[in-house]
Amino acid sequence: MMRLRNLSHSYGDEAVVDDVSLSIDQGEVVGVIGPSGVGKTTLLRLLSLFLEPDAGTVELDGDAVWEADEDERLALRRQVGMVFQDASLFDATVARNVEYGLRVRQPWRERLRDQLRSLVAARRLPGPVGRGLDAVGLRDPLQARVRSLVGTTEPPEAVTDALGVVGLDHKLDQQARSLSGGEAQRVSFARALAYEPDYLLLDEPTSDLDPRNTGLIEAAIGEARDRGIGVVVATHDMHQAERIADRVGVLLGDGFTEIGPTERIFEDPSDERTRKFISGELVY
Amino acid sequence: MPLDPVAPLLPLFVEFPFRDGYVRSIVYVSLYVSCTAVVLSTLFSIPVALVMGFTEFPGKQFVKSVINTGMGFPSVVVGLLVLFAVSNQGPLGAMNLIFTKEAMIISQFVLATPPITAISLAAVTGVDENVREAARALGGTRLDVALVVIKEARYGIATAVLAGFGRAISEVGSVLIVGGNITSADGISQTRTLTTAIQLEARQGQYDTAMLLGAVLVVLVLTVNAIVVRFGDAGSMNR
Amino acid sequence: MQRRTFLQGVGLAAIASTAGCTQLGSGETESSVGVAGETLTLTTTTSTYDTGLLDEIHPDFEEMYGVTVDAVAQGTGAALETARNGDSDVVMVHARGLEDEFMRNGYGINRRDLMFNDFVIVGPGDDPAGIQGTDSATEALRAIAESESTFVSRGDNSGTHTKELNLWAAAGVEPGGDWYQEIGAGMGEALNNANQQDAYTLSDRGTFISQRSEIDLTILVQGPIEGGPEILANPYGILAVNPGVHENANYDLAMAYIGWITGPGAQDAIADYEMNGEQLFYPRALSEDPDFQQYVPEGWSSDSDSE
Repeated sequence: MMRLRNLSHSYGDEAVVDDVSLSIDQGEVVGVIGPSGVGKTTLLRLLSLFLEPDAGTVELDGDAVWEADEDERLALRRQVGMVFQDASLFDATVARNVEYGLRVRQPWRERLRDQLRSLVAARRLPGPVGRGLDAVGLRDPLQARVRSLVGTTEPPEAVTDALGVVGLDHKLDQQARSLSGGEAQRVSFARALAYEPDYLLLDEPTSDLDPRNTGLIEAAIGEARDRGIGVVVATHDMHQAERIADRVGVLLGDGFTEIGPTERIFEDPSDERTRKFISGELVY
Repeated sequence: MPLDPVAPLLPLFVEFPFRDGYVRSIVYVSLYVSCTAVVLSTLFSIPVALVMGFTEFPGKQFVKSVINTGMGFPSVVVGLLVLFAVSNQGPLGAMNLIFTKEAMIISQFVLATPPITAISLAAVTGVDENVREAARALGGTRLDVALVVIKEARYGIATAVLAGFGRAISEVGSVLIVGGNITSADGISQTRTLTTAIQLEARQGQYDTAMLLGAVLVVLVLTVNAIVVRFGDAGSMNR
Repeated sequence: MQRRTFLQGVGLAAIASTAGCTQLGSGETESSVGVAGETLTLTTTTSTYDTGLLDEIHPDFEEMYGVTVDAVAQGTGAALETARNGDSDVVMVHARGLEDEFMRNGYGINRRDLMFNDFVIVGPGDDPAGIQGTDSATEALRAIAESESTFVSRGDNSGTHTKELNLWAAAGVEPGGDWYQEIGAGMGEALNNANQQDAYTLSDRGTFISQRSEIDLTILVQGPIEGGPEILANPYGILAVNPGVHENANYDLAMAYIGWITGPGAQDAIADYEMNGEQLFYPRALSEDPDFQQYVPEGWSSDSDSE
């Protein structure tokens, strides 16, 4: 369980998150709704352990994150994944992008070998040398030999699996730059899923997407929940929250007005401001 | 870049009106000094650019203006300053560096570092902040984030390295002053580079051989450019 | 390894036992002298270097002593300045006045006369100042100044430049105006420059000979080698950097070098060095008659042939 207790954070004099408490269980989807500019992103940054709160505690499975030392905090941080509104892919192939979270967890020795492998795999021998070897029919055997020496270049199963969840496992070797916006965002989701985090945070993951890609991402969120991941989705789209969330928190002003099961929040909000926001009377 | 850059060089070596190994040795000294200096500059510049790009510290603007001034710093003045440093009268005098390749590397380092740092800085600050956040969100340490930034900025950094190399290899004033333009008596260069050899030929009025050496220098610079560009291409295909 | 250490010990003992004398000839048994493997830094003028003389004669010295000579061609002023800073071991230049000042200030020791050639005044074939056949260099310069014919000056504080300024002073002319061009360049460039604009210039004979085939200038006033005035003589001297001032100066090797280059073998090699069939330098360190003049400063003279 991930738990925020009485969390506050301000930029300058302005409190953006004020005295917020929230807990997320593994295997549930929590929707955070509210108008833009209300601090959803700040809340997610606090959850992702990017940001140290001014006050309050963040606990991950019982460990107080900001009381842990640097190494422990890195380990805790690595249990949490995040997908941004912007796909933010690296300028590399889809496979290399999705592998990234796995790579940084490996020892340096392994990472160096991996780098070498990827160089050997992706490059055909350059121009004149390669042509010369080609002429005597040695290029392919030679490269195959080098590859067998440095090891396999097949992406780990977790990578193909995560891409399968978003329906892109056929685009492993494509350059990330050449993807459409929807595909890029799905790769971004797979990238966060691939290293199997315990908690996954999504900040407006579909705000720039067409309905089809939105549907695919929402289905992937369901799959993540079924795998036992605790998901937090911040969205300005109430209907999305209604579709996918088990529980919903309504963020108005600088704290939650109400947190509860999705159905109850939408059918029978107990807070007056929540009711007005959901019915569309409260316009920000 | 399909052109094979080495082939046109070969006939030149044969036709040169110099002793055996002379041209080869000055090419070697040029490359050795410039490449070593550029490698050292790059190793120095990239961390500096990363620190400058992503952290705030007092005096940052001052460091920035020093780097920008350094880009336009006259090479002869650098040569003089390095001469004062490595001369027997200077602070490094005890190391006996005057008229050595090491002294030339020092002055080339001083010359190449400002452009490499400045262009690398522009390149790394141009990397989308979201990409840095993503690397961190995926469990990257500060070092991992720095490596991602370097990879994302690799074209800009390659440009920076090329600019530094161009400044180093085509530079004549400072290497002449601190290197002394020395060949051993058998005609093998000790501290003579292509540029100082050209200067020597011109001093003797041998403008045609100076032109030949100039052609070698141009071919060399183009070759190194081609290799670096190729490397950049290679980088884009994987990672 | 132990053996080598032992031998070095013996070598040191041998050096210590002969302290006060030169160590040459003693020292380790593995190499002929104690200087083997060391590097001599020689700063010299462009004229000795660019004519190829040093490249011709140095292999002999390097082989004999097992050493390396780094020759840095700088021009007389810069060569002496480099030595003054302790950055070279031995200096070979051609400006007696500057050499004497260097010696008097204690930076150099054991100066020896080495060799000589001469300067010539060269100019375009049509000779607008009409100096051809003049047997006085100062007369010729006065004529050039009066006709305001273009004159190219090295302007680089080299030995040749120093000589040129001395000549103007001797001629009683202060050169100036558009016709007098200081180009701040080496002799080869100066000759090319003069050639391009049909100008006069002062050149050492060696550089002129080595470049004659490529330029249209001709010798209008000869130096003493071809019977011209003595004032155009161009004597080269060699001197060691004083190890008392710069303790890192390689004095042993410098003295070995001076001893070698003023010895009969190297002096013959200098005399034999030719370019385009002409001798460039005339040895001066050896004489059948005792020549005490080389041990005293300029100006002290038992006869009147000084410059």
